[in-house]
Amino acid sequence: MGTPCHFALFDLQPAFLLDLDALAARYRELVRTVHPDRFADASERDKRIALEQAASLNEAYQVLKSPPRRARYLLTLQGVDMPLEATVQDPEFLMQQMQWREELEDLQDEADFDGIARFKHRLKDDQARLNAEFAECWDVPDRQANAEKLVRRMQFLEKLTQEVRQLEERLDE
Amino acid sequence: MAYSEKVIDHYENPRNVGKLNSEDPDVGTGMVGAPACGDVMRLQIKVNEQGIIEDAKFKTYGCGSAIASSSLATEWMKGKTLDEAALIKNTTIAEELALPPVKIHCSVLAEDAIKAAVQDYKQKKGLV
Repeated sequence: MGTPCHFALFDLQPAFLLDLDALAARYRELVRTVHPDRFADASERDKRIALEQAASLNEAYQVLKSPPRRARYLLTLQGVDMPLEATVQDPEFLMQQMQWREELEDLQDEADFDGIARFKHRLKDDQARLNAEFAECWDVPDRQANAEKLVRRMQFLEKLTQEVRQLEERLDE
Repeated sequence: MAYSEKVIDHYENPRNVGKLNSEDPDVGTGMVGAPACGDVMRLQIKVNEQGIIEDAKFKTYGCGSAIASSSLATEWMKGKTLDEAALIKNTTIAEELALPPVKIHCSVLAEDAIKAAVQDYKQKKGLV
């Protein structure tokens, strides 16, 4: 037997729609059972196993709680290998991404906080739309190509979300 | 991570940043992206009657290596024929900029952008 899949560690069936609060609660519960404090008097072997389990739980949790990473992982489970460093040619979407980045640059130059709030809102809406679309098609065999395209788009929006966060931090200083 | 001097030079003084009219029949536009880093790259060429690339422009949102790779690509494409431009390889770009292994994919992105721009132009002209 290989290592159990990330979902199995949490007694979950592979699915895209997850209750993130329940996932977080379950994670805290599981992590407690392998906490080093509980193994203070244990053998070296048991200590090492507990440490490995804690690492697997953490890795699984990081993947499952992030929609793009969870989506990509689900496709991996289905045998779809999505290389990280791939070039995408999705002109319409990329055109929009470029436009959004230009907008964000202007918002930064003008330190327009209301504008940034609106920008974030629109980004969130778009992410929710992508997530909903992915949830419907990831396990439908003849819609696999579309599912992959959606994961790529999610990755771009995730990165853009990080950039907005960094911009806010810069403006706060 | 330390950038090479050439990367810093292109990053601080990017050549040919800007936009060509993508509706112009003599302009080819390549639009590519790298999802893992969120990089978006637009590379455009304007081709004259002799089939020579007389102008090239780019706009890249991404790291210093991605910007430098596309800046260098536009520099190298100018004055070349379409076929010559299509021969520009990512390895040559990476070598010129002394990109570290983790940034090689930025030069791949630039090569893919060149190809996409040439392809777009050829499609417009019915050459493929």
